[in-house]
Amino acid sequence: MSAVPPGEEFPREWSFESSLIRPYSLTGGRTRPSRSDFSMTSQVVAVPSGAPPEVDPELELILSLCARPLSVAEVASRSGFPLGVTRILLADLLDQGYVMVHTSDWERNRPDAATLRAVLDRIREL
Amino acid sequence: MDGALVVMEAEGAGPVPDTLKIVVAGGFGAGKTTLVSALSEVEALHTEEVMTSESVGVDDLEGVEGKTTTTVALDFGRITLDESTVVYLFGTPGQRRFSFMWEELVEGALGAVVLADTRRLADSFDAIDFFESRGVPFVVAVNCFDGHRTHRADDVRVALDLEERVPLLLCDARDRESVKEVVVELVSLVLRLELSGA
Ligand SMILES: Nc1nc2c(ncn2[C@@H]2O[C@H](COP(=O)(O)OP(=O)(O)OP(=O)(O)O)[C@@H](O)[C@H]2O)c(=O)[nH]1
Ligand SMILES: [Mg+2]
Repeated sequence: MSAVPPGEEFPREWSFESSLIRPYSLTGGRTRPSRSDFSMTSQVVAVPSGAPPEVDPELELILSLCARPLSVAEVASRSGFPLGVTRILLADLLDQGYVMVHTSDWERNRPDAATLRAVLDRIREL
Repeated sequence: MDGALVVMEAEGAGPVPDTLKIVVAGGFGAGKTTLVSALSEVEALHTEEVMTSESVGVDDLEGVEGKTTTTVALDFGRITLDESTVVYLFGTPGQRRFSFMWEELVEGALGAVVLADTRRLADSFDAIDFFESRGVPFVVAVNCFDGHRTHRADDVRVALDLEERVPLLLCDARDRESVKEVVVELVSLVLRLELSGA
């Protein structure tokens, strides 16, 4: 945040509202993403050097957060966008080839016994 | 988890971990955020889902008359077990009117923790019913706000009308070791289910 010259401060609500309305407006009124690849824990990662020269600041923010793999929930949390909006923007980025997404097989199939034992050991060591 | 999983390598961005999701449901103020924070490697993260009456379905909005949208706050924590395995703990309100959120959260979840508050045990009924009906493995963790001594697990089990096969333990949501025990109990339950072919 850069400093605002005296007298030009906006009421708190204004900036808060606008920071929420902006990402909503990028969704173009859509309430659902163009695809359903994103579970809460799906890992999203920006395609290296895949970012276009000019992209909306909200999308740029998301791409910078995903320089390393990050879950959908973390992208929402760190960007401050509601989950639904985040999913829509991520789906757009995926459609355009700017991000990759990986949903763990463990979302479809329970991990096998060996994996569960290893998980237990690791948790006990925490 | 050596050899147990295939790690997708994202060019230049490091390995993409596999994830396990655990849902923590409990009534208002039951200690969900506290429990999640106790084990999370980063301060509990926060996000919100805004649901419209369209996406929720009219039935689910019973009791919130006049509202066309409802916001559910989710607190979650991240536990990196190793570079290829991350556990997420999601804390979610335990009332039935939030069940649309549970639907999404239990999808692909390893299991759930029902965090019961000894002062308001009845607040846990909705979550218990839900996880039972969905066949989601769950444990009940009783957060003893007024000290462990005054409660006996057996009494709570009777009060909650809980079947024997559902693990129940007393916990202190503020205490990392205590929360670890809760998660270990849940993963152990899932392992037993896996070994018994259930
Ligand atoms: N004495 C005591 N206080 C606790 C314990 N667990 C949580 N608290 C306190 O109880 C209050 C509520 O805990 P939270 O973790 O915010 O509960 P929550 O379930 O996330 O609450 P909501 O999200 O508002 O539904 C906080 O002030 C905690 O510090 C406990 O085991 N013992
Ligand atoms: Mg909370």
